[in-house]
Amino acid sequence: MNSQHPPSSRLQADGVRLAYDDAVVVDDLDLQVPDGQITVIVGPNACGKSTLLRSLARLLKPSAGRVLLDGDLIHSMPTKEVARRLGLLPQSPIAPEGILVVDLVARGRTPHQKLFQQWSESDERAVRAALTATDTLELADRAVDELSGGQRQRVWIAMALAQETELLLLDEPTTFLDITHQIDVLDLVRDLNEHEGRTVVVVLHDLNLACRYAHHIVMMREGDIVASGPPAQVITADSVRNVFGLRSVVIDDPVSATPLVIPADQRQHGRSDDQ
Amino acid sequence: MTDLRDEVTSGAGTRHHTAAAHVLLLRGRVIRWSGFSVRLDVRSTSVCVVLCGLLMVVSLWSISVGDFPISIRDVIATILGNPTEDSEFIVGTLRLPRVLVGIGVGATFGMSGAIFQSLVRNPLGSPDMIGFNAGAALGAVTAIVWFDGSPTQVSAGAVAGGIVAALAVYLLAWKRGVQAYRLVLVGIGAGFAVNAFIDYLITRAEINDVQRATVWLTGSLNGRSWDEVRIVAVALAALGPLAIIMQRRLDRLDLGDDTAAALGINVARSKLALVLVAVCLASLGVAAAGPIAFVAFVAGPIARRLANSPSACIVPAAFVGALVTVVADLAARRLLAPTELPVGIMTAALGAPYLLWLLARQARTGAL
Repeated sequence: MNSQHPPSSRLQADGVRLAYDDAVVVDDLDLQVPDGQITVIVGPNACGKSTLLRSLARLLKPSAGRVLLDGDLIHSMPTKEVARRLGLLPQSPIAPEGILVVDLVARGRTPHQKLFQQWSESDERAVRAALTATDTLELADRAVDELSGGQRQRVWIAMALAQETELLLLDEPTTFLDITHQIDVLDLVRDLNEHEGRTVVVVLHDLNLACRYAHHIVMMREGDIVASGPPAQVITADSVRNVFGLRSVVIDDPVSATPLVIPADQRQHGRSDDQ
Repeated sequence: MTDLRDEVTSGAGTRHHTAAAHVLLLRGRVIRWSGFSVRLDVRSTSVCVVLCGLLMVVSLWSISVGDFPISIRDVIATILGNPTEDSEFIVGTLRLPRVLVGIGVGATFGMSGAIFQSLVRNPLGSPDMIGFNAGAALGAVTAIVWFDGSPTQVSAGAVAGGIVAALAVYLLAWKRGVQAYRLVLVGIGAGFAVNAFIDYLITRAEINDVQRATVWLTGSLNGRSWDEVRIVAVALAALGPLAIIMQRRLDRLDLGDDTAAALGINVARSKLALVLVAVCLASLGVAAAGPIAFVAFVAGPIARRLANSPSACIVPAAFVGALVTVVADLAARRLLAPTELPVGIMTAALGAPYLLWLLARQARTGAL
């Protein structure tokens, strides 16, 4: 996390322009995802966070610029090869009706399987490890439809884990979860990073949780990266006002000592008191 | 063979797990040998075995009964190559090819329906609902009426018609991607349009061709010969294995396009391949026996329920389709004997109530 020594980066975007049909969402954007760290992308709705994540995962081809994975152009690599190195959990994945947890997690092994290598011993090990890591082993024979939102999200993460990729991209994994389950999911992300050394990129809405869990924060507005770096440097009252148009007070989180954004009373012109 | 519900012993037994860590409740059995492994779903396999048994029983029964009953023993003897005087013609020329065409057509419709319903994520997405079979029928009728086509030409016409219909429906439903409900609605509309065009062709055709075309259009197994057996046999031999191999991709696509791509599936290419295989299967079925209604529509859902599986169940759907068709044909032949009904009327009688139930359910849950 020290700024003199920029960490190496296996995954980077180089002057990318991202567009759906004619609407350009992101233009000329550079991003290096630091290896072995948790990177959190924040920004207002429709700022291009998810679009950027999709392009990093090869789901969206840049109309200009390039995305590099281990120095190779990600869009010229075979899909399966990418899937062995980089996992993605999209914003709203669909669970087939009636599928069991273990069957869903087992599908994470797809890039490691072939026509006649349908279920190897390493598949078995990976699925068990993923279920254990996400604390869903005891749910293994339950139907995914029956689970609570928090459990379901853990199961989806387990599927992405079973893929055994060193890079893991998660698109808003805490949306629709209550606060307890949000913390559960983010603690899990931190464990994966600390214990297994995985590089994780997460798109989050909650600035305070982002500050608490990120090593590296990327702040986006209207398709541009406005600021990036350690949370304490990036998240300030000025940057929050600049990016979100929200007047706020930023104090130290009493638990983690990371920045804590407290919205000011937007109707008044004066700032409310610091505590 | 290792049952995953039991302990799994690893290769050299070098790793030690606690007993709890061994319990992994994955469906099915895994067979492994030297770097290869195959996973078999026990329930799906048993369902297929049972359906196959039922299919054989019904087929023998169907060959045996009729205006000239032939004992089951003689039927079996004839099939095995020891015909009696009567049975040679009645079984070998009339009833055996008819039953075989029924089995083959049912299987092609069943597979095609299972693939489309999974791709569209909607039971209404089967090829007989969304106009693809009508397109194939138009192609075949064109071949009959304009070219007095041979079985090969009729097949080619059907496949061409099916592909054109699929392409047209897809393009008409396209609006920044294809939504399932748009595809279904556009497909139903396209089906009507195609049928209107078929009617037009019929009114302009020679009277002999008209008779051949109309009987064939209701979906009939009457008078099917070894020519039609050949069509479905080729279809199943060439496309069946492809469909089975691609089920893996189909099941990944079921998780959503982004998830499938993240798992290393080439989404666009896989979808195109699946659509092509499914359209060709359905079209060749249509070429052999006409657009028999509702078989593709009911086979997939029944198969999924029987196999209790979240996957597309392509193989069980083939068996269900075959069984439904053969049973419906038996009923069509014997219910009002000596009058024979076209099998399409029987399958419609079976399928229509299911369609109504499904529409009512989807309307209630807001799925359509």
